[in-house]
Amino acid sequence: MEIRKDMKGSELTVALEGRLDTTTAPQLETELGDLPGVKTLVIDMEKLVYISSAGLRVLLKAQKLMNKQGAMTIKNVSQEIRDIFEVTGFNEILNIE
Amino acid sequence: MFSKLLMKFKSNITLQILTGVLMVFVLLTGLVCVIGYVQFTDAIEDQYADSAYNTARTAAYELTPRFLKLNDPTLREYQMKLIDIKRNWNKLADTQDATFIYLFKAASDDVTNEYSKVTFLVNVANKRTGFPDYSAGYTITQTDSRYLRAFREIYERGSERVEIAVYRPEEKYTSGNHITVMVPVHDHLKNVIGILGVERRMEDLDDVRSLYLRHVLIFSAVFLLIVMSLYGYYLSGKLLSPIQEIASEAMRFARENTRAEIQLADKITDISEIGQLARVIDVMEENIVSYVDNLTRVTREKEQIKAELNVATQIQADMLPRKFPPFPEHDEFDIYASMTPAKEVGGDFYDFFLIDDDHMALVIADVSGKGVPAALFMVIAKTLIKNVAQMGNLSSSEILREVNTRLCENNEADLFVTVWLGILEISSGKIFASNAGHEYPAIKHVNGNFELFKTKQSPAVATMDGMKFREYDFELEAGDVLYLYTDGVAEATNSHDELFGTDRMLNALNKFENESAQEILTEMKLAVDNFTGDAPQFDDITMLCLRYFGKDSGGKKA
Repeated sequence: MEIRKDMKGSELTVALEGRLDTTTAPQLETELGDLPGVKTLVIDMEKLVYISSAGLRVLLKAQKLMNKQGAMTIKNVSQEIRDIFEVTGFNEILNIE
Repeated sequence: MFSKLLMKFKSNITLQILTGVLMVFVLLTGLVCVIGYVQFTDAIEDQYADSAYNTARTAAYELTPRFLKLNDPTLREYQMKLIDIKRNWNKLADTQDATFIYLFKAASDDVTNEYSKVTFLVNVANKRTGFPDYSAGYTITQTDSRYLRAFREIYERGSERVEIAVYRPEEKYTSGNHITVMVPVHDHLKNVIGILGVERRMEDLDDVRSLYLRHVLIFSAVFLLIVMSLYGYYLSGKLLSPIQEIASEAMRFARENTRAEIQLADKITDISEIGQLARVIDVMEENIVSYVDNLTRVTREKEQIKAELNVATQIQADMLPRKFPPFPEHDEFDIYASMTPAKEVGGDFYDFFLIDDDHMALVIADVSGKGVPAALFMVIAKTLIKNVAQMGNLSSSEILREVNTRLCENNEADLFVTVWLGILEISSGKIFASNAGHEYPAIKHVNGNFELFKTKQSPAVATMDGMKFREYDFELEAGDVLYLYTDGVAEATNSHDELFGTDRMLNALNKFENESAQEILTEMKLAVDNFTGDAPQFDDITMLCLRYFGKDSGGKKA
């Protein structure tokens, strides 16, 4: 799992690559932290191949945080990941482009 | 015997070092002997040579220019002079311990071009030696290259003094060790007209040299003995006993694995490498002991946690209904469920309970994450769902909405749970259900195949406060089968990283005909296990199966 962060002003773009599962989710959770000073959070999933419930939990946490301090968007979602979002109902919680 | 000695030698460092020192010392002594011997010989030889040279100078005075000029043994005057000279030389030889004093000429040989034709003019032998005098005119051919070289030195290069030392064992040769000094004899024109030689025995040379050797050897031996004993004592104190101390401590430690009563560094205060070794071993022992202590404690704690987890596993298992058939008074359906956690405790759960006489709730759920946090959340979620559902008269969506609100109240860990909740109207086979982010159920209608029942999903429970949940309904006919599962089934992974998948799952389900719910789940678990093989189980595997017989079936399988 590779995480690339790019902060431009108050906009943080996080690009994920690989699998976001039980093993790698804590890594993303640590990387995101409390998202200080972030008004816009963009998560780029172009190279993400899998997401487990532990990964969804980290996204949910970030979404809740961003609901208070700005907005969060998820972009470049592959069909496989989109299916996971749909089955779990996360497409209704997360803002997916 | 020899190899035993060798072993003993090899096992004793002091002995080895001392042997090395001894060898160096013997070598040095040998060197001193050789150098001393050579120097000594040179010095003594020089003394004898000087003495012989002085004798030669004195003897040369007797050779008056007149005598040399006469140079004719037939002349009376020459003969008289010769007798004079011989008498004086005899005295000289006697007082100066010369063996021979002689005057000769050496002429060049036409063939070899060496001064090999020697003619004696005067020859005196010391009376005590018993050698005869050569008479005047006695001629020999000299072949000894050293003499030939000496003659050339004098005749051609103008040497004033030439020495030849000859070493011969006394017991074989009467002449023994001797030295010959030769000086040129000139005429009044300074031409070399002859050579005066004095041969002198070096009678004390052997004695002095052997005395020297004896002294050197005795002194060396005594010195060596003293040095070796002192050095050996020093070594065993400084080297051997500390090493033995370290070795025995290391052996003790290997045996007992405990801290030493007295640290090595306190016994060996040396600052050399041995002292360093001692201190390092102290540190190493300390580290190993505390490491082992630590390991023991951690292991004990781990054991304790494991024991507690075993209890937790049991408690969790006890929370799930495990009595089959659960409701013997209801013969309208056959139900079975199972949960296999990946870790000691899991986040999956199933549940089924009667809300009233005609309604039974069916639940299958999966808490995000695994292990203890998921298990604790699972306990809350399961309890809430059952409590809320049993308040009665609530639809599946209303139940989930209430549960969601309560779970969201305190959810700092941001866990959530996917839930499929269905309420079966036992009499009709109608099911009202809500799917909060859970896997699609598989349904088999009579004479049909198992198929995923896809509906529009609602978000998982506990994700967002105040959410609403969708609801849908379907009907089970007599003989229909409902199969609920968690992602542990669909996402079971083999060692090639392949997923079991819903296709394989449906294929496996469709092989069944009229098997009981329990048989179906047992076989399904086997199918998953066969697929994953040796690969470890990553996720909890939970399944629930309901076969509906209908109100009028009388509980008999159709």
